[in-house]
Amino acid sequence: MVLLPPPAFAHASDRGHVLLLPTGYYLIGGAFAVAISFLVLALLPPDPLGRFWRRRLPLFTFNDSARTIVSLISFAGFAILITAGLFGSRDPLSNPLPLVIWTLLWAGLTLLQGVFGDLWSWLNPWYGPWRLLSRLTGRGDVGAWRLPQWLGCWPAVVLFFAFAWFELIDPAPDDPARLAFAAGLYWLFTLIAMLLFGYDKWSRSGEFLTMFFSMVARFAPVGRDEQGRLGLCWPGAKLLAAEPLPASGIAFLLLALSSVSFDGLSKTFFWLGLFGINPLEFPGRTAVIGSGSLGLVLTFVLLAGAFLLAVLLGQRLAGSDRPLAQAAGLLVWSIVPIALAYHVAHYLTALLVDGQYALASLSDPLALGWNLLGTADMQVEAGIVAGAGSAWWLWNIQAGAIISGHVLAVLVAHGFAWRLHPQPARAALSQFPLTVLMIAYTIFGLWLLATPTVG
Amino acid sequence: MTDKNGFFDLSKSGFTRRTALKGLAAGAGLAVAPGFVRYAQAQSSAPIKIGFQSHRTGIGAAYGRWYEKTTAAAIKAINAAGGINGRQVEVIIEDDGTDPGRGAEVVGKFATQHKTDIVFGTLFSHVVIGSAPAAGEAKMPYFVVSEGHHVASTKLNRYVFQPGITDVKSQIQSMAPWIAANAGKKVTQIFPDFAFGYDHRDYLPPALKAQGAEVIAQIAIPPTESSFTKYFPQIPAETEVIYHVMVGPAVLTFVKELGEFYGSNRPQLFGFIDSLEAVDINSPGLEFLDGSHFWEGSPRYAQADDTEAQKAYRAAVGIDDNGAAVGDPKDVSTAAHMFGCWETLYVVKKAMEDAGYKGPEDRAKLVEATEALKEFAEGPEHPQGAKTFNGKIHQCFGIQNISKVEGGKLKVVHKTKIEDGLYEAEGDYTTQAL
Repeated sequence: MVLLPPPAFAHASDRGHVLLLPTGYYLIGGAFAVAISFLVLALLPPDPLGRFWRRRLPLFTFNDSARTIVSLISFAGFAILITAGLFGSRDPLSNPLPLVIWTLLWAGLTLLQGVFGDLWSWLNPWYGPWRLLSRLTGRGDVGAWRLPQWLGCWPAVVLFFAFAWFELIDPAPDDPARLAFAAGLYWLFTLIAMLLFGYDKWSRSGEFLTMFFSMVARFAPVGRDEQGRLGLCWPGAKLLAAEPLPASGIAFLLLALSSVSFDGLSKTFFWLGLFGINPLEFPGRTAVIGSGSLGLVLTFVLLAGAFLLAVLLGQRLAGSDRPLAQAAGLLVWSIVPIALAYHVAHYLTALLVDGQYALASLSDPLALGWNLLGTADMQVEAGIVAGAGSAWWLWNIQAGAIISGHVLAVLVAHGFAWRLHPQPARAALSQFPLTVLMIAYTIFGLWLLATPTVG
Repeated sequence: MTDKNGFFDLSKSGFTRRTALKGLAAGAGLAVAPGFVRYAQAQSSAPIKIGFQSHRTGIGAAYGRWYEKTTAAAIKAINAAGGINGRQVEVIIEDDGTDPGRGAEVVGKFATQHKTDIVFGTLFSHVVIGSAPAAGEAKMPYFVVSEGHHVASTKLNRYVFQPGITDVKSQIQSMAPWIAANAGKKVTQIFPDFAFGYDHRDYLPPALKAQGAEVIAQIAIPPTESSFTKYFPQIPAETEVIYHVMVGPAVLTFVKELGEFYGSNRPQLFGFIDSLEAVDINSPGLEFLDGSHFWEGSPRYAQADDTEAQKAYRAAVGIDDNGAAVGDPKDVSTAAHMFGCWETLYVVKKAMEDAGYKGPEDRAKLVEATEALKEFAEGPEHPQGAKTFNGKIHQCFGIQNISKVEGGKLKVVHKTKIEDGLYEAEGDYTTQAL
């Protein structure tokens, strides 16, 4: 049977148009942009810049009274989606569950969090049900059990890894029923954990989506302070007020970035070539579970190793005697803009096309012939990402996102460096190795978008 | 639901894509579509269930999208005209991720969970080959639209059919007479160094030889290659025709570099549109293809002499004169192949009607009825052209188009005869037990 000639139809995809663009110049230009940002920051006096960057524009105050009801509505929507996943269309592009989870939530909401701040704290489907249940049981905000301090947010790291594995390695994460089971069970597990350990505690140590979304929201130019006052600030400015993350938090952020990076890497001809896989006859996800799992771990280990090494070298260069954990815990926040940039670049086309499918599917979630939003029969315009013209625009947006993300990361890292090293010269010196890493990651990110890939 | 010419007129039917094709709950959806009411009253039997093994995700997704559109259009037309044996047809889509392992699982799901009457619609050959054993085991008729030679090779099993699209061996063979007579006698082949390319490597030389032409060089390019300039000096100077079948994202680079290598003084170029399926022929980098020729299963561009059936088919699927989605001109279709979905569904309809098919217990009868089919006349059900069917090897044979790139369009300059693509049967499925 293996001797049969199996013709393949490897599509001359839109990456083909990108291959004709002068992407090499972008790689060089991106590297220079990041390097020059470092040089400029090294020469600038920190105080005026810091003051400028910390400027805020307060807008108005609102309280949390609607939060429970918003979350309950979101929970109701989630329940309908799970029902759709179990009983609606089997087609992952007609069933709203995979489209909402992967496209609107994972690809889309991440970007909204990066712009509008922590919408998820209101929209998540746990807060409302938890509040109702904890009131009914009279437990209040604190759960019956305590999580040991040493656990940090390792549960979230483990759960995020499981999530990334399901998204990137599992053979059929889009299968509506399979996803309904996974998402439904995770919801139940999380609700129980929140009832046992308290909503806030579990949200900060175990619920990986809340962890991820709240970290991303720290980048947003919109934010709400403790008093409930909404305000505007510079993108990334809120990151500077962050406390050092524990080891588990460092691992979490690095895993968030490395998993998206690996998703890009795993589709390149380069990666597949390492395992002797012909990309033009890609054997499917079931055939690459082993290499994919290895790659997911390996990318994380390499990124974490490079990051810690860069911080350690920086500390040495600056002659600092602060513990590595503290410096790394602060500087890791500079990964947030990069993670966001990768998210934009990586999911842009999916968002543009599958976002349309999502809109159509929401009109008829259970495939009963409904047209709730009037979008059920809308024509999905796949042409929006097709052809040389679109490829040029998409490439420029993606490359722009990657380069700006890294420039902002250099800026954020510098903000922390000034906090760690009050002497500007030492602060600049301490950032040299991390900047080299960021230049390398800029080139890597642009290369991922420019190199031949499957699909 | 036909107009005065006897062609399907869906504009007035009230059917939508969704009502024709919506997955598991399709039957319920149909009942609320306005055009359906009279059929709902006319017959009470449950719909015929077709499991559509669809490349919704994975490397086949661009083709999968158009296979889905074509299938939806065909089902809409079939249902609008009364369904099959008086029963409506419901399509259940399962995504196989363009993954052979997953494909076999999906066939299993259709057999045991959805209990579909048949499984249909697979394109990628490795998925067909991976799924065929599961179909055979479940005794599930499996109608693929893959153009691979695997069905006709008789190395799969009795439940696998390819009645809607000619296989690649036949396609290649039928190109030879035209190439030898019109393009040149000395041919150099450039192909990707894996199975897809090997079909062309192996089937073209004997076919050309029979026409008094010859392959003078075969250049295999590693699949991961993204720059090709270093291979071009291997093309012999006396080459009259370059026969190219490159695929993958680097195709545009290949054409551009070939153009830079030759400039304006080039040999004739002949290719398979597989290289550029779903890609705008006017994309930057492809200028060099002007004046060259391509195989096309069904023409991408509307032709001056298109039949009424062809026009009706294009309108039903929703492609404009340039072969792109109506209303979305950048969304270029996979026109050369997707017609196979339409035609296969009409073959299924015919075979089910011949077999008096009632339900899964009649699957063996359906297999025999399909094997008994001999030919399909050109018309609304077979808009690509007439075909013959060899029940022993479960494969149809049809006409092929040779199109010239002219003024930024593909213009059909030659249609092959069915006989050009016939070959000796390599086996006989009908001897296998059912």
